[in-house]
Amino acid sequence: MVEAISNGLSGLAAGTLHLHWTNPVMIAIGCGLLYLGIKKDFEPLLLVPIGFGCILVNIPLADVMGEGGFLRTIYDAGVITELFPLLIFIGIGAMTDFSPLLQNPVTFLLGAAGQFGIFLTLGLALLLGFTQLDAVAVGIIGACDGPTAIYVSSQYAPHLLGAVSVAAYSYMSLVPVFQPPIMRFLTTQKEKNIIMSNKGIKPVSKTAKILFPLVMTICGGLIAPMGLPLIGTIMLGNLMRESGAVSRLTKASENEIANVVTLFLGLSVGATMAGDAFLNPKTLLILALGFIAICLDTVCGVLFGKLMCFLSGGKVNPLIGAAGISAFPMSARVVQREGQKYNKRNYLLMHAMGANAGGQIGSVMAAAVMLSVLKGMGII
Amino acid sequence: MSVTVEAPMPGKILAIKVRAGDTVKEDDELAVLEAMKMENLIYAPAGGTVKEIKVEAGQNVVTGQVIFIIE
Amino acid sequence: MDNLTFGITILVVGMGGTIITLWVMSLIMRLLTRIFPYKEGEDGN
Repeated sequence: MVEAISNGLSGLAAGTLHLHWTNPVMIAIGCGLLYLGIKKDFEPLLLVPIGFGCILVNIPLADVMGEGGFLRTIYDAGVITELFPLLIFIGIGAMTDFSPLLQNPVTFLLGAAGQFGIFLTLGLALLLGFTQLDAVAVGIIGACDGPTAIYVSSQYAPHLLGAVSVAAYSYMSLVPVFQPPIMRFLTTQKEKNIIMSNKGIKPVSKTAKILFPLVMTICGGLIAPMGLPLIGTIMLGNLMRESGAVSRLTKASENEIANVVTLFLGLSVGATMAGDAFLNPKTLLILALGFIAICLDTVCGVLFGKLMCFLSGGKVNPLIGAAGISAFPMSARVVQREGQKYNKRNYLLMHAMGANAGGQIGSVMAAAVMLSVLKGMGII
Repeated sequence: MSVTVEAPMPGKILAIKVRAGDTVKEDDELAVLEAMKMENLIYAPAGGTVKEIKVEAGQNVVTGQVIFIIE
Repeated sequence: MDNLTFGITILVVGMGGTIITLWVMSLIMRLLTRIFPYKEGEDGN
């Protein structure tokens, strides 16, 4: 009798008795992510489920990520299969208006330049001792795009998924903080004051808007077939939006599907943040390199903007280069605010939106190109 | 000498911050234009008196459409 | 493959591939917007 009671009581105490020092630390980190998401409004749709998933996986003996655990089930269903980031991408495509990009196709190039941070950071990660595939996962933080980062890291460096995702989503929220100083530092007063008129910008026909996702999918897929799932899903969403023929599917993609998958994806990512895997010096290095990646994106975008300014005889304001990253539409708004700070007569928003939409396409293409190059080299 | 203040991009005028007859200085806020889901301020390009307001709050405008005439 | 070869290849082919791909896309889209120009009233305005 006494033994039975004692065994029963030990069952209640087991969780606390099995606490490892990493568990309370990670629970605190999970709470920190919740604080950022709830109180500071930093990408709450992802940071709240990630933070909560992190707390769940760090409570001992619950084994939520063990065989048959509910988080393991969700993780295997959508992260291992890469289904979750792709379903979110359909929603993103359905929500995005690429008209500003199509009205000014030269902004495709700014979208490309804004991805150079991926490749530069990959090189830096290699120099710092990361393995080749780990360096790929670290570099992809520079895509400044959650689903892309998750897609690449879950397949090629799943042990880094937690750190890469947290870095990608946290830094996306910080774009309005770290972009302005870089823009200020890299441009001259004369360049900052360049006024870009919106008068020459014409609307785009519905036919062109429908053909765009088809062209991107077919051409992008032929050039970089390893990235077709990424390209295809975002373009499917966009095609549904622009065709107007399947509004129920479009609405479901941008609402119900995107919301449910976002919840499951966040929980799954949080579930990879077990203390023994997450708490090591490598994680801090990944967080630092992720920050560097996005800063380098901004640097390269602005520098490319300066090149375009020079080649156009001073018509292009280099500040719009900073919007060539995938943080859409946040980065375009940052450029508009900064541009008007220096010259109240300057309305860079439409041009910056073009660059920002170009950044969205650019991040997908950069990931696709990188994966295809890796395949060609026999690395994957 | 008249100065026209035109809409810098297509959008909706959310608010007009001056009235006809008001005296404004260069860089004073004249109106709020919502474009691409962002609120943008329109500033006076020069000082003077607001002679005419050609639009109302809630109205959609296109690039180049005259919003104010300042003398 | 050693890291130096890997890094330089990814840098050059990756960055170059991205910018060339997007440049090609921009040319195609420029052509398509010329072939299918916007018509007044096509979106009900």
